[in-house]
Amino acid sequence: MGLGLAGWYWSASLVPSTYSVMDMGHMDYGGGPTHAHGAGRSVAELTGPASGEPDVAVELAARQESVELAGGERIEGYTLNGTSPGPAIEARQGDLVQVTLTNVDVPDGVTLHWHGVDVPNAEDGVAGVTQDAVQPGEDHVYRFLAEDAGTYWYHSHQVSHVQVRGGLFGTLVVRPPRVPDEQDVVAAVHTYDGRRTIGGRTGVSQVDAEAGEPVRVRVVNTDNSPLRAWVSGSPFRVVAVDGTDVTGPAELREEGVVVTAGGRVDLLVTAPARIDTGGGSALVVGPEGSEVPARPAPDRQVDLLEYGSPVALPFDPASADRRFGYEIGRRIGLLDGKPGFWWTVNGRLYPDIPMFHVEEGDVVRMTITNDSGDVHPMHLHGHHAVVLSRDGVPASGSQWWVDSLNVEDGESYEIAFVADNPGIWMDHCHHLDHARDGLIAHLAYAGVTEPFRIGGAAHNEPE
Amino acid sequence: MKQTYRVLAGLIALGVLVQAGSVAYGWFDAISAVDAGTVIDGNYEGNAGHMLHGMIGMMVMPLLGLILLILSFVAAKSIPQARKWAGIVFGLIVLQVALAFAAFSAPIIGALHGINALVLFGAAARAGALTRAAGAGGHGAPAGAVPSQRTGTSATGSSLPA
Repeated sequence: MGLGLAGWYWSASLVPSTYSVMDMGHMDYGGGPTHAHGAGRSVAELTGPASGEPDVAVELAARQESVELAGGERIEGYTLNGTSPGPAIEARQGDLVQVTLTNVDVPDGVTLHWHGVDVPNAEDGVAGVTQDAVQPGEDHVYRFLAEDAGTYWYHSHQVSHVQVRGGLFGTLVVRPPRVPDEQDVVAAVHTYDGRRTIGGRTGVSQVDAEAGEPVRVRVVNTDNSPLRAWVSGSPFRVVAVDGTDVTGPAELREEGVVVTAGGRVDLLVTAPARIDTGGGSALVVGPEGSEVPARPAPDRQVDLLEYGSPVALPFDPASADRRFGYEIGRRIGLLDGKPGFWWTVNGRLYPDIPMFHVEEGDVVRMTITNDSGDVHPMHLHGHHAVVLSRDGVPASGSQWWVDSLNVEDGESYEIAFVADNPGIWMDHCHHLDHARDGLIAHLAYAGVTEPFRIGGAAHNEPE
Repeated sequence: MKQTYRVLAGLIALGVLVQAGSVAYGWFDAISAVDAGTVIDGNYEGNAGHMLHGMIGMMVMPLLGLILLILSFVAAKSIPQARKWAGIVFGLIVLQVALAFAAFSAPIIGALHGINALVLFGAAARAGALTRAAGAGGHGAPAGAVPSQRTGTSATGSSLPA
């Protein structure tokens, strides 16, 4: 009898070998009207512009191989066009971007997710949710308009906890039409096999810049845990967060800045300056040969909740159509038959996770609460959300728009967004090992159907 | 039955030693890696020592404890206090896992995790010794070498805890 119950409990936790994300977990309408689930347009139809000459056309060939980093170290990982990080893609605001991804020999298959870019759903690059994983010898074309200027990155969303860690990523910068006053540098921070790098280079890298000139350093955290960056030799300003400009950014001297996993922060410094990103990695911008002594890592970090000057929001979060709770916890239990101490979403274990349902045009509020004992960088696909409050303290600075939000243990954030991008979207922790262990949820629009499946013939395994 | 009970209790005690060894190796190796330039932060996945410690602690030890507990009900007749000590051992294993998880939020609790390991070792050793008391009647002969029966002397009872 007892054994039977234990067996039932165990088998109830098993995840089927193939399933649709639409069939898992429980429906959450956030207090708004319910609607039919799983009828209407297919995710596969929600593409970017099908016709038109691309302004930026890039071909990326993915391989699983031994990678020689810029500093000469070798690791076993992944490359795009023979390098890791992959090519830095640059576009102008309004450009039609076309990327052809070819999987040369990655046995698990690959995809490309445009992290932070609010692309149409079918271009989002999530295996089993918005496309099938691209198998060896196959290719897949992504086409989207680069509508918003800013700092973004792209990475595989198939077996991502292995592939991103192994280097299957690159940066994407969309520049505004105006001619910038400042020099522009991208600093993609990644830890390969315990070696912290900037642009694939360990230690201190140098970029030439004229003394006294402003330089925009676009710090991209491609790792699993929050990054603490700090500047020596120059005061600085945080001029953009997750691709959105900060209004009225004050000059900072003492503080450091936290860049959550998957997040981006643009720092405006005056050359010569040194930007440290921990683990001995740093970037010096200044005249050739300039040496900027590093100051110790600051104890204080700039609080984006009150940084910059406030501006009215483009929508009214007070008249929200739906309110969702996203409570992250942790408990002992079985995940796919495996005993362990697993993450929970709203008290339940994967695959019993929420499917947040919205209708196009809804104003949505979401409260993310973390009582799990660990920090979680929460990443919502396809949308940018604005932070309303943290632990009940209202945001008082510039509009703080995020696609990746650092939620520390014990913290509670309220965010809001407009549901303006129909599709089925992931809303998950960007510590990709946590996502693999089930710290995910989905956002589903009324009238959208899901043709793709987790598992199945394409062996889709997004996390 | 007594043999099995004793072997299981012994395995649990041995497991505590392996756990102590694996976690110590894990962190000494990590320190050595830091000296060699490895960054250890939220991105660090751990090493073989950490992995072994996690797997044995989360799966092997609770399973051994559970089997010992189930067995103790069968062995209760031939081993006095078998159930009591199996219960204590299993309870300490559960406590040990709970302390580990609590320590991720409050690291100071990790100190209790270390202390409880020693308590568990003692309890498992005590459980294993029950079979000797029951089997050998306190004469110091190898356990299992004599038929398991109470001799009626004071020896059996005298070695039991209060």
